[in-house]
Amino acid sequence: MSVYMDLNLIAISDKKKLQNMIETAAHLGFSTVAINYVVEPQQKKQQIPKPVSVSELCEKLPIVQGKSRPIKVLNRLTVVATDASHFRPSNEYKNFDILAVYPKTEKLFHAACMTYDVDIISIAATEKQPFHCKRSPVNGAIERGVFFEISYTAAIRDSTMKKYTIANAINLVDVCKGKNVIMASGAETPLELRGPYDIANLGLVFGLSEGDAKAAVSTNCRSVVLHGETRMTALGIIHMKKKSQPPSEQPEEETPALKRAKTETL
Amino acid sequence: MVGGAQTFGRIVYLLCEVCVSDSSSLRLLEEKAIYQAVKAAVIKAHGEYGAALFSIGSTDSSSLRLLEEKAIYQAVKAAVIKAHGEYGAALFSIGSTVTYLNAYTGVVILRFRKAHYQLLWSALPFITSIWSQGQKVQCFFNCIHVGGTIRTCQKFLVRYGRQQLCRMLPHCKTEAEKEEVRKAVLSCSLHKFRVDDEGDDDDDGEEEEL
Repeated sequence: MSVYMDLNLIAISDKKKLQNMIETAAHLGFSTVAINYVVEPQQKKQQIPKPVSVSELCEKLPIVQGKSRPIKVLNRLTVVATDASHFRPSNEYKNFDILAVYPKTEKLFHAACMTYDVDIISIAATEKQPFHCKRSPVNGAIERGVFFEISYTAAIRDSTMKKYTIANAINLVDVCKGKNVIMASGAETPLELRGPYDIANLGLVFGLSEGDAKAAVSTNCRSVVLHGETRMTALGIIHMKKKSQPPSEQPEEETPALKRAKTETL
Repeated sequence: MVGGAQTFGRIVYLLCEVCVSDSSSLRLLEEKAIYQAVKAAVIKAHGEYGAALFSIGSTDSSSLRLLEEKAIYQAVKAAVIKAHGEYGAALFSIGSTVTYLNAYTGVVILRFRKAHYQLLWSALPFITSIWSQGQKVQCFFNCIHVGGTIRTCQKFLVRYGRQQLCRMLPHCKTEAEKEEVRKAVLSCSLHKFRVDDEGDDDDDGEEEEL
């Protein structure tokens, strides 16, 4: 049995509702969920929000259906980019486990695929994608290990949105041949979540093959999470961590010794 | 895709769960209800079609009681027609039924032809509410198993029901409740299930024990 993930639960201010949503996700069998904070920099004064820490959100995380482990909750930031200046790598981005970008123009889509240091590129669900996904940037993104996200909640809410979502998804899947696609909910209420098997089957409507559709809710999501982890490190090889312990006496003694050694060699 | 839908026979059963956002509905998963579910499924276990076991999610458990087989059938039919048009309607009209419904646990078995169950299934995520007894029940379908026969679905349901009991255990507040759940977990072991499969005589004995 594979591990299923839903990397897009919209962060709503109502804590109780969010808890409820996490509980439902655990009941449906998702072992990891990501709470998504959406930023639209073109609206003035919009700050990058601080993610609510998981321990603050839920005292006790619910147990995943069919597993004995509690559900894992991550934080994700989605930057809606209409202009090149909107996506600026800053320290505030580092508070989030996963970084996503939703490009609105073809130029930005190209840049997101080829250069941006992100984990997920979101595809329009509520409107017709104003540009066509070209093969070269998509291939570039696949090579870099960036994933494309299709969210299905808009399709459930409204039948016009459903048309847009399906059209955009099929467009994308055609170009990337079913590779590097993840499906996530984008739900705001618990009733908008769907079970992992249903989503995998829904993938067939989006033009994914059976294997690709299942990967879109399980293994590909895992790759996204791992990619997010390596983003904080140097090429995934070196990871630095601040030590929280107060410095003990030993290193203090060592430092002068080291200095002495250096001066001696000089 | 899910479980092992064996390829013999022309029919697929989908085991679904009706999901409720309110946790008190979990309490409704009594051993008796699970047992009843299994028993009813055994009685009906002579279909030549496949079944999907679904669970229906809803905001509060009392609204689940309102559900009727007919209402679910109508909701599924409407969703299929909306998603796949006349072609979907035609496929749906061949041998699709709601085989079993447990209004307490929200478990539904839908029967589809195996040749095109994936197409029909893909319409189910778009169901957001069911009209039943003049009321709108907000809910969603969650598929938990796809099986070739009702028997496989029913076997899975026992296992699934037992899992739910185990999940309930940490939520119990009083010691008496805990004891009750523990007893229930022990009483729905697969061994007993096999015994109760063999004949109706054992069936009655089982019920008293439960």
